[in-house]
Formats: sequence, structure tokens, C-alpha cells
Amino acid sequence: MEINETKIDPFTLEIVKDSLLATGDEMFIALAKTSMSPIIYEVLDYASGLTDAKGQLLTQGNGVTGFIGMLSFMVKQTIKKYGEKDELNPGDIIIINDPYGGGGSHLSDVGLVMPIFYEDELIAFSANKAHWTEVGGKDPGSFTNDSRDIFQEGLQFPSVKLYDAGKLNEGLVEIIRANVRFPDLSLGDMWAQVAALKTGERRVKEICEKHGKEMILAAINDQLDHGETISKQELTKLPKGTFTADGYVETDGLGNGPFPIQVEVTIDDDKFTCDFRGSSSQVPGPVNCSFTGLASAVRTIFLAITNPDQNVNDGVFRPLEIIVDERSIMSAERPAPTSNYFETMLGCADLIWKALAPHIPHRLAAAHLLSVCSVTLSGLHQDTNEPFLIVEPSVGGWGGADGQDGASGQFCILDGETYNVPVEVAETRYGVMLDEYSLRIDGTGAGEYIGGKGVIRSYRALTDEQAATITYGRNQYRLWGTNGGFEGSVNEFYIHKASGKVDGPYGVYPRYALQKNDVLKLMTATGGGYGNPLNRPAEQVVKDVKNEYYTTEEAKDLFGVEIDPATFNYQELDVRK
Amino acid sequence: MRVATDIGGTFTDLVYVDDSGKVEVAKSHTTPPNFENGVLDVLDRSNIDKEAISTFIHGTTVIINTLTERKGAKTGLITTKGFRDILEIARGNRPDLFNIRYQKPTPFIERYLRKEVNERLNYKGEVLTPLDKEQVKEVIEYFKQEKVEAIAIVYLHSYVNPVHEKETVRLIKELWPEVAVSASFDVTQEWREYERTNTVALNAYVQPIAATYVNKLNNKLIDFNSSNQNFIMQSNGGTTTFEEAKKVPINMVESGPVAGIYGAAVLGELIGEKNIIGFDIGGTTAKCSLIEKGEVKVSTDYYIERNDRNAGYPIKTPVVDIVEIGNGGGSIAWLDEAGSLKVGPESAGAVPGPVSYGQGGTEPTTTDANLLTGRLSAKNFDYDVNLNLVKEVIEEKIANHFDMTAEEAALGIIRIANSNMLNALKLISIRKGHNPQDFTLVAFGGGGSMHAPALAKELGVKKVVIPIASPVFSAWGMLMSDLRHDYIKTYIKRIEDLELNEMMAEWNEIESEAYQQFENEGILKEDVVFNRFADMRYLGQEHTVKVPVPNGDWSEKDVEVIVEKFHQLHEQNYTFRLDDSGTEIVNIHVTAFGKVEKPVIQKIDRNTTLEDAKIETRNVYFENPKGWVQTGVYQREWLPVNTIVQGPVIVEEKAAVTVIYKGQTLMVDDYGNLIIETGAE
Repeated sequence: MEINETKIDPFTLEIVKDSLLATGDEMFIALAKTSMSPIIYEVLDYASGLTDAKGQLLTQGNGVTGFIGMLSFMVKQTIKKYGEKDELNPGDIIIINDPYGGGGSHLSDVGLVMPIFYEDELIAFSANKAHWTEVGGKDPGSFTNDSRDIFQEGLQFPSVKLYDAGKLNEGLVEIIRANVRFPDLSLGDMWAQVAALKTGERRVKEICEKHGKEMILAAINDQLDHGETISKQELTKLPKGTFTADGYVETDGLGNGPFPIQVEVTIDDDKFTCDFRGSSSQVPGPVNCSFTGLASAVRTIFLAITNPDQNVNDGVFRPLEIIVDERSIMSAERPAPTSNYFETMLGCADLIWKALAPHIPHRLAAAHLLSVCSVTLSGLHQDTNEPFLIVEPSVGGWGGADGQDGASGQFCILDGETYNVPVEVAETRYGVMLDEYSLRIDGTGAGEYIGGKGVIRSYRALTDEQAATITYGRNQYRLWGTNGGFEGSVNEFYIHKASGKVDGPYGVYPRYALQKNDVLKLMTATGGGYGNPLNRPAEQVVKDVKNEYYTTEEAKDLFGVEIDPATFNYQELDVRK
Repeated sequence: MRVATDIGGTFTDLVYVDDSGKVEVAKSHTTPPNFENGVLDVLDRSNIDKEAISTFIHGTTVIINTLTERKGAKTGLITTKGFRDILEIARGNRPDLFNIRYQKPTPFIERYLRKEVNERLNYKGEVLTPLDKEQVKEVIEYFKQEKVEAIAIVYLHSYVNPVHEKETVRLIKELWPEVAVSASFDVTQEWREYERTNTVALNAYVQPIAATYVNKLNNKLIDFNSSNQNFIMQSNGGTTTFEEAKKVPINMVESGPVAGIYGAAVLGELIGEKNIIGFDIGGTTAKCSLIEKGEVKVSTDYYIERNDRNAGYPIKTPVVDIVEIGNGGGSIAWLDEAGSLKVGPESAGAVPGPVSYGQGGTEPTTTDANLLTGRLSAKNFDYDVNLNLVKEVIEEKIANHFDMTAEEAALGIIRIANSNMLNALKLISIRKGHNPQDFTLVAFGGGGSMHAPALAKELGVKKVVIPIASPVFSAWGMLMSDLRHDYIKTYIKRIEDLELNEMMAEWNEIESEAYQQFENEGILKEDVVFNRFADMRYLGQEHTVKVPVPNGDWSEKDVEVIVEKFHQLHEQNYTFRLDDSGTEIVNIHVTAFGKVEKPVIQKIDRNTTLEDAKIETRNVYFENPKGWVQTGVYQREWLPVNTIVQGPVIVEEKAAVTVIYKGQTLMVDDYGNLIIETGAE
């Protein structure tokens, strides 16, 4: 490597790397602060970062884990389409959301890519990808759970220039404005994305000016090698061998399913291979996931297991290998609908997780809610008569693990620095009131370390003709426990109508019509337990009962502890001995 | 005589100013858990006439310690039916993205002590379900049985209408007057129920301990002089009386650290600098804050225990905007798994401390690197320094890996530490749209002066000021502070729907509340000064920009000016403006100062020469050009006034060292501040 020849100072190198990371952070924050959409500024459903001139990820700021690595695929597609033909210019910005060709997720996630030139040489790319509240398509909020092909899911941006050498493509902006339901939101987010990319460009140029092009290029190489070194060191600590798991994607939203999926994970000293062959082929409904999405799922679990420094770059993933059949449910191709790709992506992550959980207890846990549990609710506000649109994921229970209870009320693994919408904010903005936002207590997830609780969130419609599109995956198969821990529960929802009638439970349902005072009761799953519940310390079980996490009956039946509900005196039963 | 004491992790500092304007300092060890003893110790040490104390100002860590050590009161919560788990669900976020074993912050109030009552308002503050007083009474009985010591009350939408909270407080005071009570309308009036609930829970949790502490200290001070006035420093950079402090003690969570930033603003006023970056390096952290046009920025985006692995706990109390990073004198230098050099955030702390302390420290620190490169002198340590050991440790742990000398490695440690601190400085300046050239860096704390001249140049700041009393500058800041209260209220209004009369009524209500509070504190109406702000945003955005708005009645024209000001600030902060987009107000914010008479700082009277001040010439290892340079070392207290000294030069004082580089110049101003021209272009 060049470093040795030119004797680059190791500390300057470190400082330049640090400046690149700081640039990534800055771009990330800039986008959240200027976005127009709750899905971006509350859910942080976006990612931004820098890649090298070849599209290798250097630094990525993530709000959600699910986008890990997707930026590189966008940049590589840009290089393939424009770069290789020498058609990239300073000031270009490319827009891309095609799930199969570089986008990787669904049409709602719109990516922007900007080449960064210094002294006429392409040095790097800045890129980001954000969930737009609207990209058109058949349903408000665009991503839907019963589309039959990609064309119903919204506008497609197949890697085209939004800016050509700094000049805005006005026609494209007009097309967007005409095709989406909330153009101010979507375009507002687009301008925020553009501003963040330009910040990245400016900072990279400043680093070049300060330290010279050679230094930054050396730092880029060093950064990638650093990532690989750390990954490989972690790999040597993992158990070696082949581990398998199978499971299901429960439904495609059109009533088909369940669809079997499987994995064979092979770990050796310098490779981590995930073979998904034999899984279901792509399906009619919108749960299909493209290869890019699959790669992100595998990367997520790989990082969870190797748990390196959070400064993730493409070097970290060099030991990964993914094998999959063509046109499978996790490597879908055009024109398969992909709106709810994340449910299959989660299923794939869960397979690896489940295969390795018994072998790597210090890094893994029992199953968590296993669904984004997305909710789309639209209608009119009762006071302003203006349309409102809620697009949000839901929190649920995480699994117990060796040495710790599962966390209650957390977003799934594909989300991350994601924030639920405060009740007071929701009631101000949307035509709803909340009857409750509480922990769901259902007696499941028992273990030496218990599963975290799911939650109940009840929306009361304050106007007629509201429409709820709910995608609560993992509605049939209860969450798995591990090492003797009990299963958790499932995600489900009910509708308590104003008439007194109760409808449900449902998991996935498109456009359920709500009338005034109907209550949509959303319930997420309790996580799986870890270890035999009889081994949970009796004093802890007493506390659980006092805190109303379990009942006295459950304490007796599941944990073998008999508790007097008035005094909280207790007695350990023979079954514990 | 005005006296300020500041309790830090290791030392309790004292600064006083007598009636002639002369400033003196003293230091003694901090004495946990009975911190008031340390205050008395330092008073003894300073040899001041305790009966002559007219004003006593205090910075305390008792609140933050109570929180981080979980030593607070047994606390119960009363909240709206359906929502007792808000405190446990929190926001569901997970900063440690790839951690499947993420552990969520545990609520300060356990579930069995979180009780719900029937009551409900809508978002407009209209009562949908009246408060069920019988349920409140049952909860009070239950809390009595459970031996609860403090009660937090939070109902949904109470920031619009606190009627039910007030009624609940009244019931508790009537039925159980001994218990501590804290309702959200008294603590924070911003929306977002989790943040508000957590803030009130933490306030209740610290309330009994804060009261005990303040009372104990007050009793001891009364022994000296019963007529003196006692004040406590709050997180907003202003003070309040002991009595007021006990009401909302969470306002003292950052009691000490913010005073230095406030002091930097006061010093700036004295020497004619309006735009300042305050920069404080201590043993374990570095803190910085930007002061624009003399104004210390305050926000309620404050958390404890929040980092990139942990969601932490939000506290919606007004806190001076400070960026803090884990880089101080005691920060440990280490190599990561792939052999890259890192500095901090882990610190050697006070015990065992850096290797150079000879108290069993085995890991190289920034202080050790500063010693090995000649920036610090072994003579000035309180310990017997084994320089060879320091060298060996740096060689073994760092230098050998890079195949370089110990001093080269030490310089590397300093550079990486500087790079970390530079990022923090950029975060508050360049990245917020400010040009560092327009700012002066005021550096203080034990390590501020050592690193500031190099950092300032790198950042593009032209002038550095090392203030008088720089190692105890937070206490100095307290000495110069006014009383201050911040009133922040969520008030959501689109600009086009703004009713000026209604808006004015809101401001007036807040301002009369402020007058009342200051009256309780013995401040006259004519000494009260208001500044108004509106937190504004484009319709649909979430994050707001704080816009200064006029006092008094507004005209339509004023509103136009405000909106334009918002556009400008948005562009400055976020690079763009949306002229066609609607704008709205989210919060209104009044900062109210109760001005007190402060001592006039005297110019120093000093007839010395450079030769008088010279201690020695010693070898210091510099970067540009790299190598050892014979460098003059001077005693700060003896440096002649208004005499320019060319770098490289080192200035020593009790507990701090200033390093001035080649190409930079040093001058002592009339007040004894060190003024450094950094050579930045």
C-alpha cells in the first residue's frame, strides 16, 4: 500500500479519518433538522454517508439499521449508469429508488447520490436515502400491503439526474409535484436531502484542501482496511461450524402464505457465509425483498454478533458471503411488489439470529417482536378539516437474554434511533385521541430472564371515514424462547366499534374503515424468554407480581412461587427444587 | 464582600471579590458525601472575614450526584388513566443500533408506584373527563402505606391547562402536607409527555435531598452572618435564592459547569468582545459553548446518561447549550484492535491519575504527553514525578507500535486529543453556520490554556483570552452572575392565525409571573430585564429555531420582521430558506434577569519586567517544525502589562499552563488576562 512508500504520518491519517466520520455525522444531523416529515425527524427513517470513488462505504450515519450498506448499492448503480461512461460532472445529483437496481428497499425510500470532485478528479460520493411520506401510487402513504406489482407502489426513479452539473431538472420536480399526495412534504424532504449532500461535498473538499488529495485517499484505504481487520479479529472469536434455522414469512398481504424460508450459516476463520437457497420463490404480494435488502439484513446480524466499533464501512463486510436462489422471496426481481420488503428482511435476519442464539448467548437473545408493525392512518382532522396522515412503526417486546430481561416497548431491530410519536403531538396534529399507551401484560415470555413487554396503543377516530392500513407481521407464530425460556406472544389488532362490536384479531389489513369513535387497538408482541422460569429468583418474581408484570397465578404456575397478594409474602414450591 | 464557591469532582473552588474590586481565590478538597463541609473548609482556607460576606453564591453537584448515584427519594407518580407506562415505554429509540442485548434506561419510578386517575383534557385544554378526586385520595393513601417520600404529577396536555394538576396538588397538600410534591406545570410547560413526565419524576426524586442540603448549608452560613444573601447557580447560567432553588431543584442539575460559560460572556463585556467561544478543559472532559452578541444560549434539549450506546433520560429544564466530550487532562491514550491511536473517553480520573502522578497510574494520558513534551514541568506537580516511567509507558503502549520515539508518540497523543476537541468546537461554530473568525476563544479550567492556542489557530479563531482566575473560572463566573429565570411554554400557533392580543396576553402573563418570582427573591421591578424568544419552524418541520422577538406590544410590522429573522436564522443554521412555506410558533420563551449590583473589576497595578517573570528556559517538543525548541517559561503573576512576547513561550501559574506557539504573540491586558494572537488567517 501507498502508505509505506510515502511515509504518511499515522496521526494525520487518524485525524483525516476522524474528519470523514465527523462529516458523516454532520450530514446525518442536517437532514433530520430540516426534514418536513415525521417519518424522517421522529422515526429517523433515513441514512446518509460517504463512499469512495468506487462506491465502497466509508462512513454511514444511520437512524435505522435496515439501511446499512444500501448507500453503496445506490452509488454503484450510479457508477454503472453514468460513471463508467464518463457522464458524471461536478454538481450532479442523481435520484434513485428502484428496489431492484440499486435502491434496495421500497419506492418510498428515495436516495440521492452526489459525486464529489477535487481538482477534476472524482474523490468520493456523498449519498443519502430517506423515507418520503409520499411517492404516489395507489394508497395514501404509498407503501401498502396489498399491491400486486411495483407500478401500484408509486413513482419510480431509476437512477436519473435531478441536477445536471448544478442545474436543476425542473421537469422532474414538476412530475414529482404532480404525482404525490403531499408534494410539500416530499419536495421539502428532497431539498433537505440535497442540502445535506452539499454539506458533505463541502466538507470533503475542505479536507482535501487542508491535507491534500493523497492523504485523503490514503485515509480512505486505511479506513476500509481497519474495518476488515476488526471484523476478522471478531470472526476468530466465534464458534466455527454450520448452523441452520428455518421459519416463515407468514403472509404476502393478499392472503397467500405462509412461505417457508431457511438458512445455513457457515462460520470459519475468515468467512461468514449465509446460504438461503431452498427458500420460497418470489410471491404475488408486496413482501418481496430484493438482494440489496437481504444483504442489509445479513449485515445487521453480522454486526450484532461481531459488534465492532460503530464506525461501519464496507471493509467490515469483506468476510461476508451471501448465497441465494434467483427470484426468491429475498432476492426478488422486477416487477415484484416490494412495499413491505422489511417483513421478509426481518425474517431473514431472524433466521441467522435463531440459528446462532444458542451458540452465542453473550451477543444474542430470544426472539423480539419480529415485525416493523407499521401503521398508516389517514383521514380528516376534526377541527381544521385538513387531511392528516400517520405513518409509523410500533414498539414491542424484545427477548430475554443470558443475564438480562428483554427490553419492553422497543422498535424492531431494523429500526434504531427511531422515536415513537408522543401522544400530545399525535392528538394535536391528527384527527385522533389515544385511549391508552401502555404495556401489554399477557403472561407470556416467562423465563429465568423474561421477555420484554409489547404495548397497547389505542387510537380513537374523531372523524368518519378514516382508513387504517396495518401491517403487523408475526401474527400467527409466537416469538421463540431460547435455552428453556417460554415463547412470547404475537402482534395483533382489534377494532372496538362505537356500536360496541369488537372485530379482530387481525395481523395484516389494508384500508380498514374507521368511523367516529371507533377505536383501533394495536397490540404488539411480548418477547421470548431466556432460561427456565423456575430459575428466576423468587424475590424477583415477587417484584414482577407487585409491578403487575405477571399475576399471582402465573407466578405459581410458571415460576413456582406462591405469593400472598395482600402481603407479598411468598413460598417457593417443590417444583423449583 | 461577594463570595462564590463551586464544588467540583476533586476540588471545591472559592473566588471572592472585596469592596475594592480585588479578586482572590482558594481551593480545597471536595468532601463527599457531606459537601457542605468542603465549602466550610475552603472558606477557612481563604482566610476571609466570614462576617463580612454580604453575598454568597454557590454551585453544587448535589443534584447530578443524587441522580447518577440513584440516591434520591422513593417517588410515586400520579398520571392520566391509560398512561402510567409512558415512563417505561419512553420513546422506543435505540442508539446502539446493532445491539440485540440493548438495555433500556430503567425508569426512576417503578411500575407499582405509578398510579392512574380518571381525568382527561384534549389538545386544546378542554376538560373531557373531570378529575376523579376520590381516586386521588386513594392513591395518596396507597403512597402513604408504601412510604413514598415524593410525588410527581403529570397529566396529558397540562401545558395548555394545568387545572387538574393544580387541583391534585391542592388535595395532596391538604391531606399529606409533609410529602414533597412536584407537578409538571411548575417544572416544565412543554409538550411531549414522556420528556415532561421524566423531568417531573426526576425533580420529585431529588427534591427532599436538595431541600436538606440547602437548609444545612443555609444554617451554617447564618452562623457567620444572618443578613447575607445566599444564591445558588442554576443550569441556565443565572442564580436564584436558596428558597426558590428548593422548589424546582432539577434546575440546578448543571449548577457548576455553566457558570464558566456565563463568566466568559461577562469577561467579554469587560474587554469589549461580544462573540465568544467559551472553552473549559477539566480532568475528564472538555466543554464548549458559543456566545453570540453577548448572549449565552439556553435550551431544554438536555439529557443525562445519554451517549451513542444509551438513550439516557431527558430533562426539559433550561440548560446552557454546552457540547461536552470525554477529553481532558486525565484522558487515556490507547490503541484500538486495529492499531489506531485513540484518546479518551476513558479517564485515569483523580485516582490513580496519570502515570506522572506516581499514584499507580499505568496508562498514558494527555497530561503525561504534555509533560514528556515539556509543556508541563515536573516541578509543578504535587507529586514526585518519575519522568523515566512516563517515558517508558508511552514507549511501551504507543511509540513502539508506530516504531517512533516517545516524544513523537506523545505529540501524537496531543494531536489526537486536539482533533477530538476541535470536532467539538466545530460542532458549535462552523457547523451551526458561524464563522470562527468572528469569535474570540476564552479558555479556562485546568487544561484549557494548554490546548487553546493551537486549537484556535486550527479552527481559524484569531484571538484567545486566558482569563484571570482561569483554573477556577466557573466560580469567578458565579461571582459576576445575575438572578435568572427562564419561562418556556408550548404555544402552537401558525403565523397567519396569530392573534396579537392573545399573544400579548401570553407574554404578559409570563412576565407578571416573573415579576412575582423576583419579588419573592427581593429584586425590585426596575432591576428586572426580559428577553423574549419564539421557537419557530416551517409548517411540517419538527425542529425549531430560536428567534429573538421584541419586548412590549407587537404590530403587524413586527411580525413580518420576526418571520424574516426566522428565515435568516434557518438559513444560517441549515443552509436554506423556504420563503413560500408557512411558519409557526411552537414555544414561547422569556429569559428574565434580576440584575444585582456587582463589583467593578479593578485594573491590575503591576510594575514588573519580563526578566522578573522569567522562570527558566526549557526544551519543549513542537510539531511545526518538528523537534525540541528552547522555550522561555514565565510566571503569569509577574508578567508585565501590555508587553508583547513572541512565541514559542510558556506561561505558568498555579494549577494551569499556557502554551503559545511559534508565530503567535502574547500580551497581558490591564486586567491580567492573557491575550494571544493565534496567527490564524
